[in-house]
This record gives sequence, C-alpha cells and structure tokens, in this order.
Amino acid sequence: MAFPKPQATLRSATGIPTGRLAVWWLLASEVVIFGGVLGSYLMFRLGHPEWADAAAVTNTYIGAINTFVLLTSSFTAVLAHQAAEKGDGKKAAGFLLLTIGGALTFLLIKSYEWTTEIMHGYTIQSNGFWQFYYTAAGLHALHVIAGAIIMGIVAADAYRGRELQRVELIGIYWHFVDVVWIFLFPLLYIAK
Amino acid sequence: MAEHHDEHGHAGSGHDAGHGDAHHVNYKKIYFTLLALLAVSIIGPEFGIVWVTLVTAFGIALVKTRLVVNNFMHLKWEKRIMKWVLTTSLVLMGLMMAGVSVDILNHEGNNWENVAAQAAVERGLGGEHGELAVEEGTEAEPVEAAFSAPQMFGLVCASCHGAAGDGTGPAGAALNPPPANFTDPAFWSTRDRERIVTVIREGAAAVGGSPLMVGWSASFTPEQIEQLADHVMSLRPAQ
Repeated sequence: MAFPKPQATLRSATGIPTGRLAVWWLLASEVVIFGGVLGSYLMFRLGHPEWADAAAVTNTYIGAINTFVLLTSSFTAVLAHQAAEKGDGKKAAGFLLLTIGGALTFLLIKSYEWTTEIMHGYTIQSNGFWQFYYTAAGLHALHVIAGAIIMGIVAADAYRGRELQRVELIGIYWHFVDVVWIFLFPLLYIAK
Repeated sequence: MAEHHDEHGHAGSGHDAGHGDAHHVNYKKIYFTLLALLAVSIIGPEFGIVWVTLVTAFGIALVKTRLVVNNFMHLKWEKRIMKWVLTTSLVLMGLMMAGVSVDILNHEGNNWENVAAQAAVERGLGGEHGELAVEEGTEAEPVEAAFSAPQMFGLVCASCHGAAGDGTGPAGAALNPPPANFTDPAFWSTRDRERIVTVIREGAAAVGGSPLMVGWSASFTPEQIEQLADHVMSLRPAQ
C-alpha cells in the first residue's frame, strides 16, 4: 500500500528511521526530566521520614485504577501499531481513539482526585511531599494531555491511510508515559 | 496472526526494514501479565512488612517497565545504539543524583548544617513516631517535649533572623531586602503583635513585605504561631 512519505521518514543513516530516532532522542531527554524529579523525591523522602504521614493521605485505589487505565491504553496503542503495520489505517485509528479515551479517563480521575485533596487542604504549598506530588503528577498529566492531542492528529491521518508509520511513533511515546506512571504509582501511593 | 505477518509484514505498511511486525509478541498475554503484576503490587503492601512492600512495589515496577519497554516499545529489537543513548541518559542522571545526594540526605552536613530540614523532620516526627527520631540520630532532645517557641525560633527562624533575632543569620546575609531585625526600635515603630502573627502565618508578602519570608501555617498550629509571635515580641527592645 502506498502513501506519501516525507524524505526524513525514508532516510535512515543510523539504520533507524529518522522519525523513530527522534522519538527515542526525545525519550532520552524525558528520562532525565522525570528521573530527576523522581530521584530527588526519593532522596528527600529518605531524608524526611515524616513525609510518610503525608503519603498516607493519598488514595491507593484511585492510583491503582489510573494504573489500570494507563496499562490498558498502552495495550490499545500497541494494537494500533500492529494494525498500522498491516496497513489497516482505519483499524489503527480506531485503536488510537480508544487510547485517547484512556487518556481522557485518566485525566478525569486525576481531576477528581486532585479536587478532593485540594478541598481537604492538601495543596502544593502544604509541605515538601505535596510539592513533589503535584509537580511530578502534574508534569506527567501534561504529557498525557500532549500525547492525547498528538494521537488525535495521527489518528485523523491514519484513518485516511496516511503517515501510518507515525502510529508506532506516538505509541512509543505513549508507552513511555505509561512507564513513568508505573514508577509514580509506588512512589506516591504505595510507599507509606 | 502469524500468517498475516508473513504475508503483509513489512510490505503492508511500507515500514522500515528490520523493524516490521515480525516480533511475534503476544500483546494480549503481555497485557494480562501487566494487570496481574499490578494486582500483586497493590496486595503486597497490605501485609505491612517492609521488605514485601519494597519488593512488590518497586521490584514489580521494574518488571513492568521491562515488559513494556521490550514488548510494547520494541526496544528489544531496536538498533543497539538506541539502547546506549538511553543508558547514557540513565547513567548521567544517576551521576547527578549521586552528586546532590550528600546535600539532600545528610542533614548534619560536613561543612554546614541543614537546620530547616532537621526542624522539619523533628516537627513531623513529634508524637507517635517518637522512637523513629531517636533511631535517625537527630538531636537527642526528647521528641515528646512540648513545642517550645524559643527553641523553634533557634531551629527555623534563626537561620535568617539570627539567634538573637537581630537579622544576622547566616542564610539571611545574601537576602535582599535583609531579614527583619527584631532588636531594632525602628522596626517596631510600624509593627504590632497582630501583624507579626499574620506574617508568620501567611508570609510577609501578605502585608506587602518581602516574599522571601514565607508563611508557616502548614508547619505550625495557630497556637504555636501565637507562641512564636510572643517570642518575637519578647525580642522587642524596651522603650
């Protein structure tokens, strides 16, 4: 099946298609961003045993449901990739829409969770734990929003059978967002 | 599924060579494994045993990451250079962490003392977690001891305002505007107790002062803030 491709997509001096190479480079920088936030949190948490009291307030079940939502959206994202590799743009777009649905569900649950916590007086100014809590989860939520928007654009193209290679690229990004949450969940919700 | 791979594999999407749908990953199986691991990571901490919590929470996070990275992101089949790039990122991050960890984790420090962090730990551990503080080897005072405003002033406020409240604390030297000098009669010409309470509670910015004096309402109860204000008032020179 033929669809127009930009030159950069065809060029692959490294043996990796340029688009995918760029996504990996992006993720290499994201590793430092999220790793820096989470690593600092871990060290502060070890230095401040009293943070355990603040961590005890977070709702493990909400965190677990959101983990389930993100794992499921990663599954639909990889199914979209699989469909795209078979050249089925419509099916890929469908799976991407399901993934966007997962992103929106995640954000809805997150806004309910944050609203409850803020109403109970746990704000970003409360103490060190809550500063990290809102910064790390907020930065992650921004990545979810960005991913959902890009996925919408990729899905619209894929539905018309265009730029199917991008389905894999947004998928790789999405799995990374999933992986970040896999670490946020035990750090902010389980370790009490 | 397998037959499709052979028929449509790379040609189907015009995909790059060497990274087609030839991985034969059973995505459904991976997905259900991930869900099972999630269940374990939730149940594990319920036992309340520290090492079980650590293994189920963080060990499983690593296993889940490996599954996602290898099978969903297909890093397993990616060119080796990409693995090196990502590993370099991780190593550089680890180096940075190792470099700053001595400052963050060691409140006693080698050449300085992080009084604010020590005070935060003590405040937070007061009461039920008393034994922990002793283990931590923090200041040996009894943790059950009631809140003492002069002592807290020495731990928290003195870093900027100075132990005598004259605005000459080591951390305050570089601040602009400089920290308030409570022993200066001129300072008191425009202040009263009510304003001191407000500034301790909400920060100086609340009354048009420097935002460098932050509010402490999250750290102290209203009664403790009253006591701190009393202590500050006691520094006021006789008129």
